[in-house]
Amino acid sequence: MNAVLALAPRLQRAGGRDALVTTGLAVTAFAVTTGLTLSVVGGLLGFMSRAEQPVPAGQADDASVYVILAWIAVVLLVVPLLTLAGAAARLGVARRDARLATLRLLGATPREVVGLTVAETAWQGLVGAVLGIVLYLLLLPVCALLPFQDTTFSVAELWVGWQGLALAVVAVPLLAALSGAVSLRRVSVSPLGVARRETPKKMTWLRAVVAVVGIGVFMVISAAAGSLGAAAAAALLGAMALGFATLNAVGPWVLGLVGRVQLRRASTPARLLAARRLLDDPKAVWRVVGGLGLAGFVAGALAVLPSIVAVDMSDDPQGAILVDDLVTGAMVTLVIAFLLAAVSAGIAQAASVLDRRREIALQSLAGTPAELHDSVRRRVVLVPLLFVSVGSAVTALVMFFPLLGVESMLSPQGPLMLLAFLAGGCALVFAATETSRPLLRSVLADTVVRAD
Amino acid sequence: MNTATPRLSARGLVKRFGPTTALAGVDVDLADGESLAVMGPSGSGKSTLLHCLAGILLPDSGTVALDGREVGGLSDRERSLLRRRHYGFVFQFGQLLSELPAIENVALPAMLLGTPRREATDLAGRWLGSLGLAGMEGRRPGELSGGQAQRVAVARALITGPAVVFADEPTGALDQTTGHDVMRILTETTKAAGASLVVVTHDAQVADWCDRRIEVRDGLVRHAEAAR
Repeated sequence: MNAVLALAPRLQRAGGRDALVTTGLAVTAFAVTTGLTLSVVGGLLGFMSRAEQPVPAGQADDASVYVILAWIAVVLLVVPLLTLAGAAARLGVARRDARLATLRLLGATPREVVGLTVAETAWQGLVGAVLGIVLYLLLLPVCALLPFQDTTFSVAELWVGWQGLALAVVAVPLLAALSGAVSLRRVSVSPLGVARRETPKKMTWLRAVVAVVGIGVFMVISAAAGSLGAAAAAALLGAMALGFATLNAVGPWVLGLVGRVQLRRASTPARLLAARRLLDDPKAVWRVVGGLGLAGFVAGALAVLPSIVAVDMSDDPQGAILVDDLVTGAMVTLVIAFLLAAVSAGIAQAASVLDRRREIALQSLAGTPAELHDSVRRRVVLVPLLFVSVGSAVTALVMFFPLLGVESMLSPQGPLMLLAFLAGGCALVFAATETSRPLLRSVLADTVVRAD
Repeated sequence: MNTATPRLSARGLVKRFGPTTALAGVDVDLADGESLAVMGPSGSGKSTLLHCLAGILLPDSGTVALDGREVGGLSDRERSLLRRRHYGFVFQFGQLLSELPAIENVALPAMLLGTPRREATDLAGRWLGSLGLAGMEGRRPGELSGGQAQRVAVARALITGPAVVFADEPTGALDQTTGHDVMRILTETTKAAGASLVVVTHDAQVADWCDRRIEVRDGLVRHAEAAR
């Protein structure tokens, strides 16, 4: 390390409140990711140990079903968790532009700048991991209150072990560094500033083809699984992951279409700006609303559960417990997915305000009302949010149709639950985006103070 | 100087930031259609003067009047509306919204004043054409050169038919040739549109494009002269 890099920490401190806000947000995201991941893994381990040593002996048959269901929950939560960690890493990188340029001006090589950034992101990941462990420990007694298999968990059952904690402390910073390095590849740091090397890749209808094929494969596999029995459970899990990958591939493309329709119909400055911002980077908007889209997918899948279960197992007390547990597990999974989506949304909004601070400040000097920025900010999230959550829930209902059959669609209970969850989730994400409001105000106020 | 009521008039402007006195009693008059260069080294208070004249900052004491009407008593919101309606702004860089193509960047101020989108876009297209940017309407700010971006900014400042255009180091991010090109367009089109112009700059050659110049030093106007 040379003398220039030795100056780096001072430059970080010189970044002032912006740097502090960014670091705080990134660390929060890593902490939430770590804490919730550990809790989910703890739950999985709990079910696994119960399967090995069934507490009431009669539950041995069902125990393996619980493990499969726990795995499904883990698969469902992997994408939102990774999305949030990626958003945190990107946030850290995006806000270092001025400082990185200064380092280049002082003579640091591009390689050194990348190294420095990756190291800093890893450091944020480490702090986040430690705080996340604290969060996990705080959540442990809460999670232990959840009743499964007719009895609540003990803290010991949900404990991931010291090796689990050690793994988090090592893996989270590593993943953060990796994600940071990947996002740095998209910018070129010159002594005069950080330029985005962006000509956003055009997304083609190929994504739609991928989606149709993905949904088709899922429907075939799940129909086959119905006849093959439990042996196909692994294939079902794979199909589920496939469904998620499908949604992730098609989501940004669909949002781009939504943006084009909005743009054509935009009549006010706020609508025009919101449509343009969505079209500018549908993937960025997808990162905000995608988490909820995936949760909507889960909700759609779960909405049909109560009805099939009611048909199949209403006479069987063992089955009744399983039904209750399925619903409880579904709720827990959904709540975690919604929380992740909300944190992702809040962080993306804050990053968007920070990235545009000069534009916003100068627009305000020129007399653009502050309400415009608020209105644009809300529109950019709200319209895609409603579209994505409803759209993915419907997709899930369609995809699970061959698996669950027509009777699953006839019970009003499932759709009602779905509606309630979507409304709650949207409200939560919307509230999270409102947290960037004070930040926007401070960006607007700052200009006046620093007028000269 | 013009003997009629000045378009913009400031009397006894004082502005302090903590212990620093940025303006220590400044008088400025700007005639209808006149262009004024405000010069001075960095930290001299010239940007503060521009911000006070434009109603962005309120002076600690002194008055600013547009067409004889005092603006000091207006609320924050009213001053924001005043800037939107009666003033145009050209900054050094970064005022164009990166997600909007050039034509929508120009149309936005008109839309903010209630002009329907189609009408505002047509008007913006005509402005871009008259500033030599025909064919670039669909380009994003990132796809324009520095000089082109400043021309778009000039069109953006003039589309609402402002009384006064304020330019803060409009050539600060440009090379000399491009800078002169932008100054020529800024002064000529502003005059043709019947607006007055205030240009803050530290560059004497940039100031040469204006009808008149004043120099701010330590918060006071040191000397005023006719540039041409």
